[in-house]
Amino acid sequence: METNIYVPKIQIGSRKFDFFLYWIGLLVLGLLIGAVGAYQVLTYGLQVTGLSNQVPWGLWIVIDLSAIALGGSAFVFGVIVYLLKIKRYEVVGRLAVLIGFLGYSAAGLILFFDLGQPLRFWHPVVFWQTHSLLWEITMCVVLYLSVLLAELLPIVVEHPVFREHPWIARYPFAAWLAKTIEDLSHFLHKIGPALAVIGLSLSLLHQASLGATYGVLSGRGLWFSPTAPILFVTSAMAGGTALLFVLSVVVFRVMRPGMVKDNVLLEVARISGGFALLCIYIRLWDWAVTNYYSFDKEVALQTELLNTIAPYTSSFWIGQILFALIPGFVLFNAHRIKNIKVVTLFALLPVFCTILLRWSYNFSGLVASITYDPFTPTVVLNSYTPTWQEWAVAIGVISYWLMGFSLAARFLPFGKVEE
Amino acid sequence: MAEEMKHPEKETEIHGADSQISRRAFLAVGGVLLGAPALSLAFSHPLAADENQHEAGAHSWGMVIDINLCIGCNYCTYACQAVNNLEDDMLYNIVTTETTENGEEFFLSRPCMHCNNPPCVHVCPVKATYIRPDGIITMDYDLCIGCRYCEVACPYDVRVFNWRKHTGISPKVPAFGSPEVAPRPRGVMEKCTFCEHRIDIGMERNLIPGVDPAATPACVIACPTGARIFGDLKDPLSPASKILAVEKNPIQLRSDLSTDPKVFYIPPKGTGG
Repeated sequence: METNIYVPKIQIGSRKFDFFLYWIGLLVLGLLIGAVGAYQVLTYGLQVTGLSNQVPWGLWIVIDLSAIALGGSAFVFGVIVYLLKIKRYEVVGRLAVLIGFLGYSAAGLILFFDLGQPLRFWHPVVFWQTHSLLWEITMCVVLYLSVLLAELLPIVVEHPVFREHPWIARYPFAAWLAKTIEDLSHFLHKIGPALAVIGLSLSLLHQASLGATYGVLSGRGLWFSPTAPILFVTSAMAGGTALLFVLSVVVFRVMRPGMVKDNVLLEVARISGGFALLCIYIRLWDWAVTNYYSFDKEVALQTELLNTIAPYTSSFWIGQILFALIPGFVLFNAHRIKNIKVVTLFALLPVFCTILLRWSYNFSGLVASITYDPFTPTVVLNSYTPTWQEWAVAIGVISYWLMGFSLAARFLPFGKVEE
Repeated sequence: MAEEMKHPEKETEIHGADSQISRRAFLAVGGVLLGAPALSLAFSHPLAADENQHEAGAHSWGMVIDINLCIGCNYCTYACQAVNNLEDDMLYNIVTTETTENGEEFFLSRPCMHCNNPPCVHVCPVKATYIRPDGIITMDYDLCIGCRYCEVACPYDVRVFNWRKHTGISPKVPAFGSPEVAPRPRGVMEKCTFCEHRIDIGMERNLIPGVDPAATPACVIACPTGARIFGDLKDPLSPASKILAVEKNPIQLRSDLSTDPKVFYIPPKGTGG
């Protein structure tokens, strides 16, 4: 199926120009900035970061968690398309696979720099410690990245270059290679339902475990509550699907007009809204339980102190409740609103909330720690400011994500595989 | 399902029909939804297997710190830095000033608690930190990937990350001792080991840790007031066990967390524990 791809042009005065090349140039600059940061980190070690023994996880961990969460639409739509067989979402599901792959590979990339011993990144795969949540997450992410790669290959192979490149006619080896890749892609497409089941299992395991990573930190108090796993799963489903909707509007409505019907896009938004409301419902009960039933002296102390810090209160009530509740209702009623522009604007908020939830989980507990006085414990506030090297690596990894998405949006057909 | 895959062209294009969910698909999704949490539970079961093997060991090294005797001189910290060859920015042992309920100040010196139920060991993804049969929590520096999860999980803030490459000799050498352990690479987690090297070599020579200075942690030897007492908690005749037998209210830090530390404190007089 041939699809015409329109690249939106920017108009300055009477001149219209294609900004795609400039955008790619900007991303290359971002990658170069990332390379400088990466060089610094790998040469001088983690002393170039703003991390400390009291706040050992910072900006990179938040980006890692967020990238994985925002890739959550891949398993949601794997189930919808392959197991529930709702075929009208197939094209949107392909974009979800791409977002998932970019998110997980970006997370792996940034974790590489976050390790004190980057070259030992493979240790958890070989030296098992099966009680560790981080071990389970590493295994799941490695396996799931393989699943995503298997799901992504048939989508990339759709590009006409794999059938029409002049070398295929000229060189027998190129022809053989093209044939092999196409056969492999057909096979992977056929085992799609199996991949979807594996993907769903792995995703539920590690998305929940990422929350549980914080949930088991009993010594760190308030935020690390036992509901963290379910909050992480539901927020990933809400935020991931919201991001998928926003990017679907760009890829399928702006760049490939008519490829996906508006009512299907609005249904994607409605799914996201449903998950957002579910997440907020659980969040409110979690908040109530933490506040009304925590009689523990140390936890009560931390709660009191955190409640007095403005960023905590505003990030919770405005950032996590209001910014999720309002778009939750709007997106859930997307099929009544029908205005794609309005719905897209509101869909950006759950994406923001998903990142903010992880930001808060990581920092609120680490920043406030308790002194060890057995008689009159008090709370000390630690501080953390990311250094330019941390920002540089972050910019590099985000540029990688955007580069992957931009190239795919510009060149991949996202059409159906012709049997 | 296999038949459906063979004939994808038979899939109907009509929107009304394709949203029907087959029983098979429903069971598959349901099975995964139930199976994933069950697997997760199996993986994270805290009581499982080899982490608690030290309970069967012949020894269980522990320490008693008498807060009434501590004068806050920091000699324990300095001796630790000399023996482990640590520069001034790395502390395995920390001395802080705290207050009692009556507002009286006292010194709290804090080595690794060597918990019987150590949060750091439970979270390490590669078994780089582990509990020895004699109860000491130690590190395998060759396995550690430097993820710092143990540091986040430790409720006592006693784990120290090796942020930079250390090449020099500790400024506390030779005044407080000389280096006794191999240097660690950049980017691994370090911690107090109760001077395991002294205990191991001492035991080979039939010395008694806690009694013979050569087999006892450096901080215990360095303390000018004898505030630190070391010994085998499984041996009722060890110095540490003797004190715990007569002391009415020995306290463990953050006992609310059920970590069960092997470092006990004798509270300041008049606090009642």
